[in-house]
Amino acid sequence: MHEFVEAFRFIVHDGAVAGQPALPSLGYLTLQTLKVGVIGLAISLVVAIPVGAWLGHLHRGSFFAINTGNIGRALPSLVVLAIGDAFLGLGLTVVELALVILAVPPVITNAYLAIDSVDREIVDAARGMGMSAGQVLARVELPLAVPLIFAGIRTASVFVLSTTTIASLAGFSGSLGDIIANETSYHFSGVLGAAICVAGLTLAVDAALAFVQRALTPRGLRLLAQERRASTRLVRALASAGP
Amino acid sequence: MTPAAIVPLGAAGPIIPNYGAGSSSCAVRNHFFCTDWFGHNWGPVLWPALRGHIVLTVVAVAIGFVIAMALALAAHRYRVLEQPTILVTTFLYTIPSLALFELLVAPVGANVYSAEIALVSYTLLILFRNILAGMREVPTEVLDAADGMGMTRTQSLLRVELPLALPAIVAGLRIAVVTTIALATIVYTIYDAGLGVPIHTALGEGPFKTELIAAGGLTILLALVADGLLVLVQRLLTPWARVRGG
Amino acid sequence: MPGSNGRRRNHHRAGALSVLLVAALSIALAACGSSKSSSTSSTSTPAPAASGPGVGKPAVTIGDKNFSEENILGALYAEALRAKGYKVTLKDNVGSSEIIYKALTAGGLDMYPEYTGVLLSAVAGQTRNPASATAAYRQAKAFVEPHGLTLLKYTPFFDSNALATLPSYASSHGLKSIADLKGLGRSVKLGAPPEFATRFEGLPGIKQEYGVNPTFVPIAIELSYKALEGGQVNVQNVFTTDGQLLSGKFTLLADPKHVFGFQNVAPVVRRSALATEGPAFAETLDRVSSLLTIKAIQQMNAAVSIDKQTPASVAQQFLHANGLA
Repeated sequence: MHEFVEAFRFIVHDGAVAGQPALPSLGYLTLQTLKVGVIGLAISLVVAIPVGAWLGHLHRGSFFAINTGNIGRALPSLVVLAIGDAFLGLGLTVVELALVILAVPPVITNAYLAIDSVDREIVDAARGMGMSAGQVLARVELPLAVPLIFAGIRTASVFVLSTTTIASLAGFSGSLGDIIANETSYHFSGVLGAAICVAGLTLAVDAALAFVQRALTPRGLRLLAQERRASTRLVRALASAGP
Repeated sequence: MTPAAIVPLGAAGPIIPNYGAGSSSCAVRNHFFCTDWFGHNWGPVLWPALRGHIVLTVVAVAIGFVIAMALALAAHRYRVLEQPTILVTTFLYTIPSLALFELLVAPVGANVYSAEIALVSYTLLILFRNILAGMREVPTEVLDAADGMGMTRTQSLLRVELPLALPAIVAGLRIAVVTTIALATIVYTIYDAGLGVPIHTALGEGPFKTELIAAGGLTILLALVADGLLVLVQRLLTPWARVRGG
Repeated sequence: MPGSNGRRRNHHRAGALSVLLVAALSIALAACGSSKSSSTSSTSTPAPAASGPGVGKPAVTIGDKNFSEENILGALYAEALRAKGYKVTLKDNVGSSEIIYKALTAGGLDMYPEYTGVLLSAVAGQTRNPASATAAYRQAKAFVEPHGLTLLKYTPFFDSNALATLPSYASSHGLKSIADLKGLGRSVKLGAPPEFATRFEGLPGIKQEYGVNPTFVPIAIELSYKALEGGQVNVQNVFTTDGQLLSGKFTLLADPKHVFGFQNVAPVVRRSALATEGPAFAETLDRVSSLLTIKAIQQMNAAVSIDKQTPASVAQQFLHANGLA
């Protein structure tokens, strides 16, 4: 498969193309993609985790929390970006807005379910020890909810990076998607090379988040059992919550 | 500049008709939504795109379901298979759609097969997880009862475990279907099908609001309708499993 | 016995489940079957004319690239052939130059319309611009011939990059060609999509050949004319066949050194297909090509991108007006 060989050559040469001296380099576009994605993810987390966690703590608003996730899933990235382009023009702000719109729903849903599914006995015990609501949330529920919250963050990070590359299809300029959308200049070897970089970048970010998740998970927590219990909760919740 | 390699024109050149006959001033001025353009172009542009989108989705989810079911049954039997399967399906799920499509074009070509392979890959994680979780939900007492009634393993599976796992399975199908409908909008980058095609055309024309809203709206509508249909299917198949609240 | 009703209900539910599975599988198989024919994509195969030199000849597949001018060309060639009795399948939006060229050499297509300059740069990988339109054609033809392909006659129109400006700006600064921008230095705001700033057939090229040094403003392609009219830019990168140029509101600056290359269109076709389809095949295609002047294509582009008509209907109207369909 000689296309992959040429693609790797493209990557090794930092995205240089014969006869096109002034194209932006692969490294530059990768960093741009990361920058746009990180900003979008950060804003989404700041918005979504508090909302989802608080609702989960109160055990209220499940309809809202779960259906936000459902509706968010039904929004194609391309459509959100295209609508943004049509009515607001496609600058960095509009792209970030689209990223936030798409990343917030899964994070809210997961944060809600994560906190909501914490063993009530543990919460009661903490209350019994005299902790305030905020202390219970911060010192008991959140640490126990880390695995499922991180599942949401990791899903959101994939959405965000994916949407950043798709933004180039809608006319945004400043991500690895530029290469994929511009085969005329970069040739298929460039497009394939950029695709490999996009996949690699996303997997690397996911691995980094997995590392952080492991670091933040309280010791002594049996991860697989916790995740299984939480995902059962998610499954049951989705099964019961109709439109 | 008279290139020698063309047939000499007649003195008058080509006759250029007046194309204005079929146009709509609303579309020319790119108003928010032009119903006349919509009506005119439903047949040639929007309906074929919608139909193609539905086919792409149904095929992808059907194949994904079959594969995920096989994997889940295997992992249910042999616990050790669960982690590797989760690992592989998560890996596939993590690759952004645009990248996965292009990666498949190299070996498979820019055709419907690449599109379907990618779409199927994205359904595997959620379907596998949900089918397995659903089967695991079945209380051991029920399994013991089935065993006590003399059912074989297969009979127990078909008559007891899978039906009881239906809520979880359908929940997974709902997510898979909605996700696939959203992802199929990108298929146009490698294969000419789906609602992404009119979206792409519209983007290149201004963007052309009517076509964008029509195609984008149809995609979202399709997802919501499909989701609703599956909820109905679930209610029909499992009237005993109506769990309120949550 | 309390269990027997339950067992029957379970049996019923399991039966329903297996029906669902079977239904899903059969939908999948049916869809696979139907997607092999033309219901998923906009591949179209309307019935050909009942008589003509094409009747009885083997079916032929034409492809076009994924932008509207190519869609129009594909429709023009396909409809003209159908009117002569040929069975034609038109595959729209096959992809970029490399992909569609690969489809052609692999046998998935028999013909597609290509721009001579693009064939040389994107497919042949040439980095030096040819000196004239005929040179571009000859080099492109020479490139494809060893691959079992050939080029038919090329169109009068060429779809190259160009620089447009408002007539008022041109007359007040005495601008006739790109070279005249040199004296205006950085005061000229030149708008173009980002790739223009990096391709030789763009900013680097005109800087090198004409010594101009404008201020570059990135503008997305679909916003070109809006930016020019709105005064956001003084000079804008456009294409010679854009429908908007018919309005008379814009002037093109000449490119005497041909930095923007030559982009006439010629059908790239498999020689084996030419042999099996008979001489009327190439004649019909050449006849269509000969009619495609810049004005004709501009009008068709305007109808599609400004009036939002479909390429198929625009092509049909043009061929009908010229007695070819």
